[in-house]
Amino acid sequence: MIAGIDLGTTNSLIGVYDSGFPTLLADTEGNRLTPSVVYYGEKREVLVGREASRMQAICPDRTIASVKRLIGRRHGEEGTEGFLVTKGTKGAAVTIACAGRVLTPEAVSSEILKKLKTIAEERLGTLVNRAVITVPAYFNDAQRAATRKAGELAGFTVERILSEPTAAALAYGLDRLAENSKVAVYDLGGGTFDLSILQLDNGVFQVLSTHGDTRLGGDDLDEAIANLLAGKAGLAAREPSLEARIRLREAARKAKESLSDEDSTVVRLPFFQGGESLEIPLTRHEIETVCAPIIRRTLHLCNRALEDAGLSASQLDEVIMVGGSTRMPLVRKLATEIFGKEPNLTQHPDEAVALGAILQGAILEGNLQNVALLDVTPLSLGIETFGGLMNVIIPRNTTIPAKAGEMFTNAMAGQSGMKITVLQGERELAADNWTLGTFEIPFSPSPKGAARVGVQFAIDADGILQVFARDTASGKEKITEIKSAVEVSDEAVEAMLAGSLEHAFEDMDARIFTEARLKAEEMLPAVEAALTQLASELPDAEANEIRQCAVEVTSALTAKETARLKQALAALDNATQTLATRLIERAMQ
Amino acid sequence: MTDSFLLLGIARRPLLDPEVIGSAYRKLAGQLHPDLASGDTLRFRELSEAADMLRDPARRLRELAGGSASSSGGSLPPEAANLFPKVASVLQQADNLLEKQGAATNTLAKALLLTPLKKAARDLESILSLLESWKSTLNQELHRLDQEWATHATPSPSTVTALGLLSDSFTYAGRWELQLRNRKLALEATLG
Repeated sequence: MIAGIDLGTTNSLIGVYDSGFPTLLADTEGNRLTPSVVYYGEKREVLVGREASRMQAICPDRTIASVKRLIGRRHGEEGTEGFLVTKGTKGAAVTIACAGRVLTPEAVSSEILKKLKTIAEERLGTLVNRAVITVPAYFNDAQRAATRKAGELAGFTVERILSEPTAAALAYGLDRLAENSKVAVYDLGGGTFDLSILQLDNGVFQVLSTHGDTRLGGDDLDEAIANLLAGKAGLAAREPSLEARIRLREAARKAKESLSDEDSTVVRLPFFQGGESLEIPLTRHEIETVCAPIIRRTLHLCNRALEDAGLSASQLDEVIMVGGSTRMPLVRKLATEIFGKEPNLTQHPDEAVALGAILQGAILEGNLQNVALLDVTPLSLGIETFGGLMNVIIPRNTTIPAKAGEMFTNAMAGQSGMKITVLQGERELAADNWTLGTFEIPFSPSPKGAARVGVQFAIDADGILQVFARDTASGKEKITEIKSAVEVSDEAVEAMLAGSLEHAFEDMDARIFTEARLKAEEMLPAVEAALTQLASELPDAEANEIRQCAVEVTSALTAKETARLKQALAALDNATQTLATRLIERAMQ
Repeated sequence: MTDSFLLLGIARRPLLDPEVIGSAYRKLAGQLHPDLASGDTLRFRELSEAADMLRDPARRLRELAGGSASSSGGSLPPEAANLFPKVASVLQQADNLLEKQGAATNTLAKALLLTPLKKAARDLESILSLLESWKSTLNQELHRLDQEWATHATPSPSTVTALGLLSDSFTYAGRWELQLRNRKLALEATLG
């Protein structure tokens, strides 16, 4: 039996195919949704789901939520804010410091998967050890591989890593197998956004294109609303504690949910920060104002996907909404604007993806016949060329499994090998893309240009890369496994644990000064340029004030006084606000 | 080398409707996908590659012209030679600005870049429309060659040569269009 699992940022689900139907399994309390929260207790006990959620407010430093935002990520990437990430060298896999341990995101995710496994096994009374696990369509190779690893750590044989919008399309299309139509799946979850365009044709589900953002979801909306609440309650000045931030974000989430149905609400935070009780009135209009810029970021991703599919919005038959965040009226309104039609709300926003995962399991077991999913790789795969450019070998939106080959030869006589860097991404400069890994092509000793090694890049049905090298002279095939930089050994974890806690704060002051210096070096010429451009329309008083602030920044910089420099920069920032507004207005005319 | 037309059961012709390719592909993919009992990974990949090849006019025409090498011997078709400097300068301009915008961290520096970014977006738009009109002449030529192809039992050498040249033009047009569109989307994302 193959279980289908939706491993979500906020909630996770599990189910199986039972007597011809996909069925979601509930825990003993009757809940089908398990919060993706893990608590690490003092006696090394681990709690997952609702129990862990309850601990979050009490022991925020012992609970980890939204770990999906970290899986397969490396130091130096954006998006790790808000987590207790250990310090590490740029490019190394991210690990989390929690309850005195250093945890990999895979290990934390595996706790959630173990919990789901237990729920299913208790419910069914049998062993459940095979699974299809869903991931955001726009997850890269490392994120997919790390999710697969989490499944294995939880004791599953992972039969497939499946893209979430593709899974949702399968759930939608199951009772429309005879149709031929083009649909878009707009999937806005807790932490990620995907837009996939599919053609459904007599049981074949072909993904035509996909685009997304793995750092865009309900969490970001909650954060924006929490900031709004803090501002309204006058908390902005004093930094709220970690516990207070978690309470604010939780209150923001609840307010967001109730404002999906109502026009106004009152957020109540009793004994906030140990002191007064807060009552903050909040309207739908207010939260929509702060959420709109975030939701609007989905717009150009939708346009990109349409463009890649070679379609215009009017050629789509349906726009299917899935993911918890699509409950928000503003999201539905924006989707209507983008696609010029009312979105299709027939699918359960929380359950469609899990149902699709169950159906994919049934296809693999042969229980669901005459249905096939043709998925694509979301990101182009290539290698770095001599000039530091990316040479695309498998373009994005290529149907998987896919394979492409490239021939390499020795540039010098007797050269023993050649280093190849494999990249994933859409940018032309190699350095702007994600480096999957570097590996050595072995050459047998031969004169210049005589050694020939064919390298095959294969993307499997999970969207994960394998590299094979074949020496054409000897005919020997060698499977070269690319060691993803995201894999961490136990020793590396130990070393990180030792280093991270000791050195975390020692270079803090130097870093703050450097940051401020860089900002000053950027600000000062910008101020000069802006003053020149707007010379004729700027009142003298305003110009003088700005000049004075700029002089103060320069002298603080020369004196190397960190606090004074930060203050001077803040003043300059403040003084130039109307200047920036004028420039923006002028550009928009 | 397998014949892509044969694999998909589509008649060899210069002009093909993408919908016809897609529908033939899905029909066969529904039997060959490796998840199915009747599946076959190798044949499925071959089928996908063949469909990709047929969808791309440049590669399709190259196959019909019977060669893998470029027929113009590396020299640019005249229209492409005329467009190339314009495309290159617009791309460079956009890249420059996008890089500056990416490096800017404060509102003032970003605001200063808005006017030049807007201008770059307009320049991109106008070069894209030039490319669009070039593509429509290429498509007219494709229709003409398709007619020639259909009226003769075996294609004449002049038709074959013309197909090769047209394939070159489609290659340049396709590559530039992709680069320009990528920049356009990057600019749109920046301008909001």
